[in-house]
Amino acid sequence: MSAFHFDTLVWHWPIAVYLFLAGASAGAMFFAVLLKHFCLKEKAYQSGFIIAACIIAAISVLAGLGVLVLDLTKPWDFWKILVFYNPTSVMSMGVIILMLYQVFMYAWIAVTFRQPIDKFCEKHLPIACTLTRLLARYEAGITGLLVIFSVSLGAYTGFLLSAQPHFPMWNTGVLPLLFLASGLSSGAAASLLGGVLLKGNPNGAEVRFIHKIEIPLILGEILLMFTFFLGLVFSGGQSKVAAFNAIGVGFWGFVFWFGIMGLGLSAPLAMNLFMTATSKRKFSYVAGTACLSLLGVILLRNFILYTGQMVVS
Amino acid sequence: MENSRRHFLKSTCALVAGVSVYPFSGNHANAEMEPAINNIKYALLNDETKCIGCNACVEACREVNHVPEGVTRLSIERTGPFGEYPNQFYHFSRHSCEHCENAPCVSVCPTGAAFINKETGIVAVNADKCVGCQYCIAACPYEVRFINPVTKAADKCDFCRETNLKQGKQPACVEICPTKALVFGNLKDPESELVALLKANPTERFKQDLGTRPKIFRIKAKQGEIIL
Repeated sequence: MSAFHFDTLVWHWPIAVYLFLAGASAGAMFFAVLLKHFCLKEKAYQSGFIIAACIIAAISVLAGLGVLVLDLTKPWDFWKILVFYNPTSVMSMGVIILMLYQVFMYAWIAVTFRQPIDKFCEKHLPIACTLTRLLARYEAGITGLLVIFSVSLGAYTGFLLSAQPHFPMWNTGVLPLLFLASGLSSGAAASLLGGVLLKGNPNGAEVRFIHKIEIPLILGEILLMFTFFLGLVFSGGQSKVAAFNAIGVGFWGFVFWFGIMGLGLSAPLAMNLFMTATSKRKFSYVAGTACLSLLGVILLRNFILYTGQMVVS
Repeated sequence: MENSRRHFLKSTCALVAGVSVYPFSGNHANAEMEPAINNIKYALLNDETKCIGCNACVEACREVNHVPEGVTRLSIERTGPFGEYPNQFYHFSRHSCEHCENAPCVSVCPTGAAFINKETGIVAVNADKCVGCQYCIAACPYEVRFINPVTKAADKCDFCRETNLKQGKQPACVEICPTKALVFGNLKDPESELVALLKANPTERFKQDLGTRPKIFRIKAKQGEIIL
């Protein structure tokens, strides 16, 4: 059995790319909201990290949907997913979440960048100012719903896989939580990387704030990973076979131990702790940590996608 | 302000949680007590002791349902040989849609293209509604769904719902079987040959522990080998 081609494989790497992009978008938006409300307040629009988070969130959710549509066997019929709904289908729920998430994402971005938008629109498009004023009035509601939908989107990618009864590795309740946690950390990492690239201060309040949340998040991820695999082993039968097949010897075992646990989780955790201990943060250090986190999440999505389909019950 | 926001968040969370769990509970209740409109619930019995692996059923299905080359709605899985020469034998087992009562393909389909026909209990696909997301192919525990290269939609056995059954005939595979290893009939009809055979023989269904309640029953052939 080769690592990328086997009989029971149905979903290939484009799905992993989509899972990654959707998770990163949800995470970036979640951290943008946190940054604005607990760290930057009214001056949020000036921060490179908020700008980066908004750009990343908007582009990656669209790119993810693009990958998904191209992966359909009938890409031109994609609109049928938007017209027909099946209340028992996790994918249908996901489509609704994705649509509402984007609505509130754009609304929140408009409210956050109200000042520059108004400045531009006063000259060119006065009617847009009325819209931003209206949105600003409902800022609390928009923010609350955006947080709910971004968390829903992060967990949804896990539910999408766990709704399949005969893949024992996917058919567990821990998977959505694991995907949510890793999605949030990828969003944080992407925002940090984008922020420092957009000339954000690598030693700024934003970085300190995100790093403080990232440490418990990574610890939580490791705990969820542990729970996930131990749960499979204790379930016995094919679940146990699936668990040992995934994290045992072989290509995917190497990806898991070296790539995900080593480079993706332990290294960023150590670097975050070190950065908290030392007072000065440098560009290369912040960017390097973020890149490792992102690499870890991409590997995790592929790892779960492929190894999950290897063992059936 | 702070209080009202918290209140708003709390109630929205409760609403979202409630809405997302509701359809699953409702569906489950329906599946248990779904009334059969015409009092028909089709099922198939595969007597594996009679199957000789001639593949006539596979070819008949292809012809009647216009299944393109390269894919198939039905295949016969061969295992063996078992035993010592000259007493060697093979096992043949039908591999096709199991027409689950609680079908994972139907519950995951985002557009409702995969559906259970209420009048007959047949699991079928509406090719026009299907967008080809392949969620049903991944979700099917029996791995019997495929993408039809002509229509680009998900496809599988539908007991010849669109072809032979419409003309009042038996499914193509049942009609052609030279050893009468396949018996098709209505589970709700106590007089039918199917129900009589099911009552007289010990039968087995695949992967019952997944709760899909498949409607292909099998009379198992004699033990090939013992594996622990």
